Amino acid sequence: MMVSLKTCFPRGSMEASRGNVQSAEQRAGMKKTKKTDKKRSKQDEEDEEEDQPFDLNSKAMEEDEDDDDLSDSEDSVYSGLEDSGSDSEKEEEEEEGGSDDADEDEQDQSEQSPVKESKKKEGAGEEKEMKKEDEYDHDTSDEEDIRNTVGNIPMEWYKDFPHVGYNLDGKKIYKPIRNKDELDDFLEKMENPDYWKTVHDKKTSSDIVLSDEQIELVNRLQRGQFGDVNFNEYEPTVEFFSKDVLIHPVTNRPADKRSFIPSLIEKEKVSKLVHAIKMGWIKPRRVEDDSRGRFYDLWASENSSILAKHKMHLPAPKIPLPGHEESYNPPPEYMFTDEEKALWEQQDPSDRRLPFVPKKYPSLRQVPAFSQFIHERFERCLDLYLCPRQRKMRVNVNPEDLIPKLPKPKDLQPFPTTQSLVYRGHSGLVRSISVSPSGQWLVSGSDDGSVRLWEVCSSRCMKTVQVGGAVKSVAWNPNPSLCLVAVAVDSAVLILSPALADKQVLLSSERLLTTQQEEEEPSEESQTVVWSETDGEELNQGIRLKIQHPKAVHQVTWHSKGDYLASVMPDHSSHLQVFIHQLSRRRSQNPFRRNKGLVQAVSFHPIRPYFFVATQRSVRIYNLVKQEMTKKLQANSKWISSIAVHSGGDHVICGSYDCRLSWFDLDLSTKPYKMLR
Amino acid sequence: MSQLQARFFTEDQRYVVDDVPFSIPAASEVQDLSNVINKLLEAKHASHSRVEFDFLVRSQFLRTQLATHMETEGISTEDVVELEYVQRITAPEPEECMMHDDWISSVDGDSEWILTGSYDKTARVWSLEGKALMTVAGHSDVVKDVAWVKRDGLTSLLLTASLDQTVLLWEWNSERNKLKARHCCRGHTGSVDAISTDPTGSKFCSGSWDKMLKIWSAVPTDEADEVEEPADRPRKKQKTQQLGLTRTPLMTLSGHNEAVSSVLWCDSEEVCSASWDHSIRVWDVEAGVMKTMLTGSKVFNCISYSPLCRRLASGSTDRHIRLWDPRTKDGALVLLSLTSHTGWVTAVKWAPSHEHQLVSGSLDNLVKLWDTR
Repeated sequence: MMVSLKTCFPRGSMEASRGNVQSAEQRAGMKKTKKTDKKRSKQDEEDEEEDQPFDLNSKAMEEDEDDDDLSDSEDSVYSGLEDSGSDSEKEEEEEEGGSDDADEDEQDQSEQSPVKESKKKEGAGEEKEMKKEDEYDHDTSDEEDIRNTVGNIPMEWYKDFPHVGYNLDGKKIYKPIRNKDELDDFLEKMENPDYWKTVHDKKTSSDIVLSDEQIELVNRLQRGQFGDVNFNEYEPTVEFFSKDVLIHPVTNRPADKRSFIPSLIEKEKVSKLVHAIKMGWIKPRRVEDDSRGRFYDLWASENSSILAKHKMHLPAPKIPLPGHEESYNPPPEYMFTDEEKALWEQQDPSDRRLPFVPKKYPSLRQVPAFSQFIHERFERCLDLYLCPRQRKMRVNVNPEDLIPKLPKPKDLQPFPTTQSLVYRGHSGLVRSISVSPSGQWLVSGSDDGSVRLWEVCSSRCMKTVQVGGAVKSVAWNPNPSLCLVAVAVDSAVLILSPALADKQVLLSSERLLTTQQEEEEPSEESQTVVWSETDGEELNQGIRLKIQHPKAVHQVTWHSKGDYLASVMPDHSSHLQVFIHQLSRRRSQNPFRRNKGLVQAVSFHPIRPYFFVATQRSVRIYNLVKQEMTKKLQANSKWISSIAVHSGGDHVICGSYDCRLSWFDLDLSTKPYKMLR
Repeated sequence: MSQLQARFFTEDQRYVVDDVPFSIPAASEVQDLSNVINKLLEAKHASHSRVEFDFLVRSQFLRTQLATHMETEGISTEDVVELEYVQRITAPEPEECMMHDDWISSVDGDSEWILTGSYDKTARVWSLEGKALMTVAGHSDVVKDVAWVKRDGLTSLLLTASLDQTVLLWEWNSERNKLKARHCCRGHTGSVDAISTDPTGSKFCSGSWDKMLKIWSAVPTDEADEVEEPADRPRKKQKTQQLGLTRTPLMTLSGHNEAVSSVLWCDSEEVCSASWDHSIRVWDVEAGVMKTMLTGSKVFNCISYSPLCRRLASGSTDRHIRLWDPRTKDGALVLLSLTSHTGWVTAVKWAPSHEHQLVSGSLDNLVKLWDTR
């Protein structure tokens, strides 16, 4: 019963209020709720028929809820929320028309209970106050329209009717009498000066004349300005934070404690990262290697020769820039004084400090043509043409360095410095020695009438040949395929076969000696020079041939081929001083017809067919093929004693009795290249 | 400074003295030190007879005053000087004189016999007592070098090289004292100046004046090698000259520019030759090529190699004995130069048992024993 009482109360009050004269709007709202109640009850009835058990449950629920709702006020039913929620359905529901109010109350309860629940969660008291405030607001806002009692319905519904609605008693509310027609309106417009600011209020059907402030407000709004006149929209902004360091803190809030305490979370995070880096899960960001790829050596592939060329390049000489004295208006200190000018004129053009006289003109226009122009251009071209455009490499060489250093005597070895071996055996003066071409043997001739053959390396005397006379000269055949020694004894030349060689060599020399060449015609020389073969004792000793000369033979010498040998018999009065013997044909000839002086020594050229004849003062060189003298070497000595030719054939050295050596270079001159003492 | 602290030691067990430092005068010479040692030994053994000693300071012989030596060698005189002493080798006295008719060109010793080559165209075998056992005659010219090849019981093989361009291989039976020329080695075109047999006795090498080295087999066989004889040579004459079977060289090593003066086998595969062209060449016998060349500045007369110290000693005509290391590739590096001869050094020989000693003979009529320390 309590439930029904409570729920009935609002309805009762509603009905009570119906009787009261209330605002039209309130009344309209009431109507609405009624309608919605009806509609809902109808829906619920249909629902109930279908789902009876559910309904039972819901009823039980309702009872519980009712207890909770004890404190709730009846006003909650009229909450705006519910109203607005049902608004959309209003028109359709009204058409359905009639409804019975039998179980309306209970259904209302069930319908509204969830809403109540939601409301309950917010504070109940608060809600009451809000409701009250809403009502007041509603009242105040509707204060102007207090005379419109028709409600919030479209006015066009009543356009063709004289009334605009109904009052609580069901009487028509008539429209206010409008006695103004178009004409009146026009007249009004013409006559009333305030017509332009008169606004017709449809709701109250009254004309309102706007005040100046209102018009101003309208204008401002139309211009898009603020409605409030006093509002300054261009007020300068006050920066809350600025670059200026202020004395006081922006906020007076004390620093947090956490700003002093290391963050545990961060620490954990960092330690995780560190661990990950240590384990190698995270690779620290690699530093880009800048050295490669960022920069390019543009000149890397430059040819060094080009660079060298550039280095050697000399730029063309530049013309000196014009100075003040070349100006058309030179400063007075550059102008020549009379003495300077006189000096300039006296000087040679090449000595002048300036090639012109500075002149002053009042203006640039009056400067005449430069008379020296062609000359100056020519000089410039000459400069360009004559100046060296390439760096010349000058080598700084001390002239002393260009002279080859004299070798130390130590480096010139071997030459005899100490006695190594003594070949002992001769009992007389040893006049002559000669070494075999192989270097293994040495032959020596002595005054004791013997020729000895020595082994060079051991100083062993291998053989001694008694020739029965003082040996003046010995000569070993220079041909390595022959083994023969020529010995000059008294007036004979002996050909000795020492038999100290390979068998082949011995055979070949044997063959040479045994080839008998019959003399075709006995010449003059053949009478003077007699070839004879030895026999008996001499043959056993190795003496093979004997060439008997008319006079005492002083020297024998072999040609390098080993077939010819020359013998010298110095004699003032005869032209028979030199004989050349050919061994293979056993022939002798005297090459010289006339006596050119006392012949001291002769020598064959080692390569070319030249024959050197040394007389007392000079050496004559004869060409054996052309049979003429080619050169005469002047030895600056008094008495030439001996002559030797270098194996290359270019150098001749002469010894003399005045303790001198004359060294001739045959390519140079007939004078000695060097004199050695 | 007048006194020095010295400690004496020796490797010769006969002359050991107590290992205590002595204070000796700094100016003392070898003779003084020798007296000191003799005094010490006399104190130790009553029966000690006087022995002359030589002293080595840090492996160098003491030849001057002790203080002077140490000063020149830069040895500190503050510390105790270690003095090694060895018995002085005195000049040997000739025991036997074996008279030849002519100059002796070469000597080679065996354990029982001595073989000599002479300029009288013969070689002779002597006993150690100086008795001439056998005269090896067969060469037509001077015997330049002799060598023992192998001794097989009573028969021995010996070689004689001669100026007649041949090397003869002889077989000598010592019991019956019979000699037989087994082979006549022909091929050289100059006098054969040096021969050397290899360690195994199966090969020998000869060096000649014709600048060649030839390797021959030293094994006697009964077959003659084929020789291209000149056709025009009288057949009869050759027959009479022939002594033993003709043998041709296994290999010819040419490269020297002058006469080969000395050859020797360094080891079983290496032949070392010295020449008058100022070079010592080491040849590989297997390949027949030159391995290394040591270039000197003088004519080499003789060389000797010691497997103990692995040094090559050479005697030159400039009276120096030079020591070489044959293993150096570039050559021309003289390790040591020994100078005191006044004539050509014609023979050098390393001591077969001593690392530092070598003996040299010279044309100044002296034979010198050197200690390279």
